[in-house]
Amino acid sequence: MAVPSAGVSQRLVNWARLKSPWVTLFNSGGCNACDIEVIACLMPRFDIERFGILVKGSPRHADIMIVTGHVTLKQASRLRRVWEQIPEPKYVIALGACGASGGVFHGLYHSVNSVDSVIPVDAFAVGCPPRPDEIINAVVTCLNLLKEDIAHGGKEWRQTNGIKNIKNTNEIREATL
Amino acid sequence: MPEVIVPIGPHHPALKEPVNFKVIADGEKIIRLDLDLSYSHRGIEKAAEQRDFIRVLPLLERVCGICSHSHTTVFAKGIEELMQLEIPLRAQYVRTIIAELERMHSHLLWLGVAAHEIGFNTLFMWTWRDREAVQDTLEEMSGNRVHYGMNEVGGVRRDLTPEQVNAALARLPQLEERVKKYIDMVNNQKTLLVRFRGIGKLSKEEALKYGAVGPTARASGVDYDARRDDPYLVYADIPWNVVTDTNGDVYGRTRVRIGELMESIRIVRFCLENLPEGQIRVNAPKTAPKGEILSRYEAPRGELVHFIRTNGTDKVERVDIRTPTLANWTSVAMCLVNQNLADIPVIVAAIDPCLSCTSRIAVVDNHTRRAGVITLDELRKRSRARFQRLE
Amino acid sequence: MIGPITLDFVKEKIQDIGTAEQVRSNRIRITTTPGHIRDAIKSVQELLSCDRLLTISAADNGKTLELIYHLTGPHRMIISLALELPRDAPEAPTTSDILPPSGIYERQIHDLFGILFQGRSDLKKIILNEDWPENEYPLRKDWTPAPDTFYGGIKGEKV
Repeated sequence: MAVPSAGVSQRLVNWARLKSPWVTLFNSGGCNACDIEVIACLMPRFDIERFGILVKGSPRHADIMIVTGHVTLKQASRLRRVWEQIPEPKYVIALGACGASGGVFHGLYHSVNSVDSVIPVDAFAVGCPPRPDEIINAVVTCLNLLKEDIAHGGKEWRQTNGIKNIKNTNEIREATL
Repeated sequence: MPEVIVPIGPHHPALKEPVNFKVIADGEKIIRLDLDLSYSHRGIEKAAEQRDFIRVLPLLERVCGICSHSHTTVFAKGIEELMQLEIPLRAQYVRTIIAELERMHSHLLWLGVAAHEIGFNTLFMWTWRDREAVQDTLEEMSGNRVHYGMNEVGGVRRDLTPEQVNAALARLPQLEERVKKYIDMVNNQKTLLVRFRGIGKLSKEEALKYGAVGPTARASGVDYDARRDDPYLVYADIPWNVVTDTNGDVYGRTRVRIGELMESIRIVRFCLENLPEGQIRVNAPKTAPKGEILSRYEAPRGELVHFIRTNGTDKVERVDIRTPTLANWTSVAMCLVNQNLADIPVIVAAIDPCLSCTSRIAVVDNHTRRAGVITLDELRKRSRARFQRLE
Repeated sequence: MIGPITLDFVKEKIQDIGTAEQVRSNRIRITTTPGHIRDAIKSVQELLSCDRLLTISAADNGKTLELIYHLTGPHRMIISLALELPRDAPEAPTTSDILPPSGIYERQIHDLFGILFQGRSDLKKIILNEDWPENEYPLRKDWTPAPDTFYGGIKGEKV
């Protein structure tokens, strides 16, 4: 599909998005270990702020949403509502075993088993909780996806290219090589 | 009496855990608090009845991300007592070392978060950087920075090698020096003193009456510590002190937590230097005899209580978990009364909640019938502005 | 600090309230009835100098629902007051006026077990989400989730 070449302002916006993605956090009811690891990313040891990644409180200012914890019944509708407030292009990272399948809480009476059944997820980070290195890896994966989406003019190319549900960072790395 | 309802889920950017409570206020003064805890309810107690003693420990570990070792230790020691199992001394020392390291990382985390609430971001960055030394030690010993998975019924799962012991001992002096610097800061720095003094005061009688636990209670002079009152692991055999304070406000709670940090460093050093030789586990029977036990533990936030009932099978019949934050909520509700709305972030952070909140604050002025929505970030800005004027 | 409390001392003080037994070196368990629980707590607070409520535990033993109040004091002894309630109409008087911390535990127990605490008007949901159906108490032994009931989440979608 031919993509019309982008004007100067659009290219500027794309460059800004790639160079400085803003992130918002959403805790959907877990044990908080993933949240602590995300905050540890901001601290002097890992320091993602030097890459231009800022953690903002409001979903309306964000490019990427990081969902931590496993989704409880109470948070499912709120998660959907907050996701709808993020302006396009938006990317979702689900952290940890709980984000992928519910983790140790799979099948419990107050749980929705994965983030995937409430909102579409672009990257899963593995671990319980994932290390800050894994979280930064997941953000970089989303940025690679963003680059590809811009080049293809949208997100539809993922379906036609055979990458239906991107499950882990290795798959995306192979696809974008 | 005209009432204003302020529904709060303070947006805690540092620890974002959802809880919602409504603050009923009269103008700027708070009257009472209403609580909604269902955001993080996962049904763990029901699930624990269907998992045997090996599988239930990873589940209980993930009740909380910061005090994960506390939950597994209190459960394992309860089951071991019901089985009348004596675990080897080396295993008890290892459990104590991990428990005190967990207390250290939790208190450093809290200090950073409390500093962030008053706008002192430098201290936030410093304490979390120092916390990385503790995380490195825990990662070397257990393989994970959070959720260590060290416990099993019958002992611990991993041993400490001499290299790990020496590496841990080598990190302690620098940590001690940094903590001494924080003590000096808390005692002399004007920002902390003005912000924390007089806020959220709980007298000794109120702390007892409303059931406060942990550093929140010890800061008001209530001398309860489960490690001394109901000794477990090796606390009865090693030299250490309970830290109390008489101020009763957020300043007192800061002093208690920093004092406990120093005590923990000393306990870890003692245990590492005097680690006895021997086994790290004994073979536990598959089933536990019928019985009931109340197992207590001093988690970083306060006293954690597990009420366990077994029925002769390899699963528990009931585990009833009472977390320290639940015990402290009543006292938070009470010490928020007659305080200003702008003090809410600091007071809630001072009990070190293992629950935070997400949503916005809606303030409805009953007199003028105007409704406005303010975020906690704004409230925090107001709170900082108010204190800047005081200086 | 007051010295440790002995079983005989406890038995003497709570004669008409219930029966006591020593279950551990630092715990004495007193079995009482819902009708006596308020007096029991007042006696334990005044005569046995217990000034702290540790927790209120609830359990389902198949036949009845049980409530156990654990209190302690400067003597470091734990006094557990246990009572049993019938499954079909579990009601107990509230103790939140004489023991303020029990308010929050009573709300939680009501949500999970369905025990009604009489004498208080604000027994609203605290731990289950707002769409959870009435009269379903998840922690009872005979409860399993019914397949067609909506327990919360997103309406109209199978999440």
